[in-house]
Amino acid sequence: MKSQTLTAQAALTALPIILSLAITALLVMAVGADPREVFTLVWEGAFRDLRAVGQVVNFWIPLTLCSIGLVVTFTAGLWNIGVEGQMILGAVFASWAALTLDLPAPILVPVEILLAMLGGALWALLVGVLKVRLGVHEIFGGVALNALANVIAIYLISGPWQPPEGGSVRATPPFPAPALLPPLSDTFKVSLLALVIVVVAVVGVWLALRGTRWGLQLKATGKNARSAMLLGVPTGRSALSAFIVCGMLAGIAGSYRVLFTYNSLRPGVSGGIGFLGLLVVLLVANRALWAPLVAFAFAAVLGGSARLKIALQLDASLAGVLQGFLVLTALLSNGLRARLAPPTPISMIEEPAPQPIPAEAAHEQ
Amino acid sequence: MARKILLALTLVFVCGLAIAPTVAQDEFIFGMVLVGPFNDRGWSQAHYEGGQYVEQNVPGAKMLYFEKLNPADAPETTLRDVVTNMVDKGAQLIFTASDEFEEDTAEVAKEFPDVIFINVSGDDAYAGTAPANVGNVMGTIEWGKLIAGCAAGLTTETGSIGYLGPLINFETRRLAASAYLGARYCYENYRGLDPDNLKFTVTWIGFWFNIPGVTLDPTEVTNSFFDSGADVVISGIDTTEGIVVAGQRAKQGEKVWSIPYDYVGACEEAPEICLGVPYFHWGPGYAQIVAAAKNGAYQQEWTLLNPDWTDINNPDTSGVGFVKGAGLSEANAASLDDFIAKAAAFAQDEANADTIFLWQGPLKYQDGTEIAAAGEALPYIAPLGEAPSIWYLDQLLEGMTGPSKQE
Amino acid sequence: MLIEVRHIHKRFGPVHANDDISLTFPHGRIVGILGENGAGKSTLMKILSGYQSFDSGEILIDGQPVDYRGPLAAIAHGVGMLQQDPLDVAAFTVLENFVYGMPGGLRIPRRAARRRLAELTERLGFALDPEMPIAQLSIGQRQQLEIVRLLALGVKALILDEPTTGISAEQKAILFDALRQLAEHDQMTILLVSHKLEDVIALCHEVAVLRAGRLVGCRAMPATTSELVTMMFGQELPPVDRQSADVSAAPNVLTLDRLHLRGKRVTVADLSLQVKAGEVIGLAGLDGSGQELLLRACAGLLKPLHGRVIVGGEDLTGHPYRDFLRRGVAFSAAGRLEEGLIAGLTLTEHIALVTETGTLVDWERARRRTSDQIARYNVRGRPDSPVETLSGGNQQRLLMALMAEQPVLMALEQPTRGLDVDSSRWIWQQLLARRERGAAILFSSSELDELVTYSHRILVFYAGRVYPVDAARTTIDELGRLIGGHLDGA
Repeated sequence: MKSQTLTAQAALTALPIILSLAITALLVMAVGADPREVFTLVWEGAFRDLRAVGQVVNFWIPLTLCSIGLVVTFTAGLWNIGVEGQMILGAVFASWAALTLDLPAPILVPVEILLAMLGGALWALLVGVLKVRLGVHEIFGGVALNALANVIAIYLISGPWQPPEGGSVRATPPFPAPALLPPLSDTFKVSLLALVIVVVAVVGVWLALRGTRWGLQLKATGKNARSAMLLGVPTGRSALSAFIVCGMLAGIAGSYRVLFTYNSLRPGVSGGIGFLGLLVVLLVANRALWAPLVAFAFAAVLGGSARLKIALQLDASLAGVLQGFLVLTALLSNGLRARLAPPTPISMIEEPAPQPIPAEAAHEQ
Repeated sequence: MARKILLALTLVFVCGLAIAPTVAQDEFIFGMVLVGPFNDRGWSQAHYEGGQYVEQNVPGAKMLYFEKLNPADAPETTLRDVVTNMVDKGAQLIFTASDEFEEDTAEVAKEFPDVIFINVSGDDAYAGTAPANVGNVMGTIEWGKLIAGCAAGLTTETGSIGYLGPLINFETRRLAASAYLGARYCYENYRGLDPDNLKFTVTWIGFWFNIPGVTLDPTEVTNSFFDSGADVVISGIDTTEGIVVAGQRAKQGEKVWSIPYDYVGACEEAPEICLGVPYFHWGPGYAQIVAAAKNGAYQQEWTLLNPDWTDINNPDTSGVGFVKGAGLSEANAASLDDFIAKAAAFAQDEANADTIFLWQGPLKYQDGTEIAAAGEALPYIAPLGEAPSIWYLDQLLEGMTGPSKQE
Repeated sequence: MLIEVRHIHKRFGPVHANDDISLTFPHGRIVGILGENGAGKSTLMKILSGYQSFDSGEILIDGQPVDYRGPLAAIAHGVGMLQQDPLDVAAFTVLENFVYGMPGGLRIPRRAARRRLAELTERLGFALDPEMPIAQLSIGQRQQLEIVRLLALGVKALILDEPTTGISAEQKAILFDALRQLAEHDQMTILLVSHKLEDVIALCHEVAVLRAGRLVGCRAMPATTSELVTMMFGQELPPVDRQSADVSAAPNVLTLDRLHLRGKRVTVADLSLQVKAGEVIGLAGLDGSGQELLLRACAGLLKPLHGRVIVGGEDLTGHPYRDFLRRGVAFSAAGRLEEGLIAGLTLTEHIALVTETGTLVDWERARRRTSDQIARYNVRGRPDSPVETLSGGNQQRLLMALMAEQPVLMALEQPTRGLDVDSSRWIWQQLLARRERGAAILFSSSELDELVTYSHRILVFYAGRVYPVDAARTTIDELGRLIGGHLDGA
């Protein structure tokens, strides 16, 4: 019986991959290309040499930071769709330091990152306060604050932080060298500091969620805020702290985009990475240690597809299609697994359903 | 699960055969990096079509393009990666078709010293700060804007023209000012009216296109132009709201016109009220650059693509053009042709090589500062901060209404 | 219709919920299924009605083996089940719910359906307005609707799970008359799951008793309560004495001063109350008559419109729940998995939530504590079982384990709802032990004998009005009349 379920599990895990690859292959053939060539190109695009891997890692870093932050908010039962705006605010705060502070790199870089955490956390806290104190659902609050963050960034880029000479108006002036994160090497252009931060964040969140009272209270709040409140959990504070932690991590992700990837603040600097993070967390069913792995798969497929686009002049949204099918089929097979599995009480794929968080002082009508 | 995904992907990829790129003897591959979609009926499409022109006109030339390279549409990719992939596919010259790529182009060019990079609309090569393998190219669209302004000045019945501006910088100021100079000249010289009575209002929406909540809504701005007495709106933004609104209002019987921007086919939105469109034609200029690079003869340069004054709309020779629209009356079309002839005569005079028609003194900034005394020509470009120039226009001109600086 | 089950086995992980059960249910009879909480009654009924699959064994209807999956298939075979919470659609009207699920898709002749509905309700003595939205019906009326709906679908066997929970005495009488008529006149097979022995005694022709998943006995009725209890528990339970301790000298722990409470349906006005340490006050009344407003106001979960709530001398009016918690007020709600326990968390996680105080959770210690509490409170579950896998009685035991050891005041909504006699008694032992240590108890209940047995004073709620009764002098009959609204007669 045990081995039978193991086989079934393996089949269900392989199913989404095979299915989505097959569907994508069919699509590729439909537009007249050779699917083998397509897959080879994506593979080469992502892994042909250190430089390419560096490109993938550069996308993986902010994606993982957002994903791991979202694991925290999901644990608390919150759909922190405002993660995009939190990234942007992190980027804006870091950019302010980069453009205005004249400090040596060993001081400036930490200041930038701390400011980015502050910016992201503030933005997340706003969503949280709207939710906990005023009862505005975090999805609505988040969407509104995402838009506002964009407004702020674009205002700064086209206004106060416009470069002194004409021309480059779609970005701030490039940041001075001390403000930037140094790459590991010329061929492997990845920031060591950022790598360290990612590892610390993933391990830290994982440990905090399983080993601290805070993590337990988050989980309780996420699964049933009403009961948690009755058992004495400060649910409002739990929710706010989850927002703050996620905002800080998203803020770092945003700062990485401006301090390393682009060397300047640009419109749309968050690039939908936060939304992709939501997808990652849904796929890994909120398990912290899985998030970096799935994020890497996403980063590789997306990053690798640039080569595909150039070589075949195919629309690179093909990678998006592959990704979409992957998510769809994975969720499908998770659902299937839940149906087939013996009625284990907590399904492995069960992600916390969003629940209203009663304020501590909540009174019934 | 992710590990299994990776494993499976690896297997599939390894099973597929790697196909090494083969470069034919006479082939010359060039890259075209676009910031927007290749079919945006605007800036990016003009470049894409320029690349196609090169493929047709330079033997052996083959284009690799990459569209929508910007943080929002392609967050996973940077210019470095796109360039790397293009070079891997054999590209020897790469156009980076946006001022947004200026800094990144300079960065990446250092890593590929054997590849030539052409950044469109940048000025690093002029300023001397660019690496040896980076050149710039730009069309002198100021000529087109002069003609557009003239068309507006010839047509306006209310004596009031609106200019739909994007955000404020040197480029957008000098283009709005060029339109103003054209309008003023034609209002005075072809219609015999007092140019000081011509009202020319610039409203900056805040960005190159409408972003709800961020920029002013160009549709509303255009409407309020018409509501407050203007009857011609010249667009300086990337999108088509100006001509669309004018078309709608004309259908309701109002006598209004519009002049779009950037793309040769832009009048199609509402041809009957379109006075014409100033546009870029990158093909011929690009073809020259590619041909030179192919023969190993390309020299770093800040290339300006000028109109071919024998026929500004000649697709094989002219870098900048102006197509007259159906909204222009016959008489006005004749006047405009005369104006173009005058501009051509001016441009072809060796003595005027460094300046542009109508940019002659006396010219004053909005705050009254004189930038060219009577009888003096304002130079097209001069090092920033040393002397006033058209390129680095610091304010709008006296006589124009609207802010010169971001508030 | 003759229903036979043969050698039914059903396991949930380590729990053998149904262990080789064979039974025959003849037509025209009302059979009571008895057993303490977790004995396997509900599982067996769910298997019979298609809501639950089984591991082995077979079901025969009129001698033919049937193999149905899902409740719809069961209904097609003539077996319908009335759930504890009726499965109706709140946004629909009575008539819409009635036609819902009928064969014929969307083209159901409304007029014919209306006629059929009227026919059935009239015959069974039900009062259902076809145009009334479900949201406005009482639980009893929703039950009636579900019964006529199943009858209209042609069921020949009806399974009822705790049908008398939450309905008035009047509605209970109507229900029982209807069930008798269906058995005797229509020769239907009727299965009744109930932990209320008086219901079983009043209604059933025979009973089957389950204990720990096994069938331990069948007998024909009549039988006395003590005979049935002996069958269920293997022993007779000692009688419980009424509460008689004198608390007049004890200090006040709770003072309610001219409290004005507004709920969704009722308003309680101008309620003043003094509660002394060690005092037990029962709140009687039909569901939603205002008892829950009072309990929640005492715990800081409902802010009064006027008046004050004073706990242990401190005015906590308007303070958040946590302040009440800190002052020693323990609250437990009727819906255990909605308000109390957290589905998805294990027993150990629950214990850790209320006992761990440091930054880091010492899981070893929490597990040890959980094992201790499991043993102490006799919870049938393991430290790493998720709470939703526990039976209702065990959930209530866990809630007791989570409650403060020495509360000042306990405000309990139906603390024994859905529990069998044995579990109820056990819960009360725990509550009374806390009372001995000085806690006052306010509890609501729909069980009149529970109210009479354990309370010093009873407050009868009727439509927001509050009527105090001396528990020592009242009788169950009198209480029943008061609850029904005859406040003036008392």
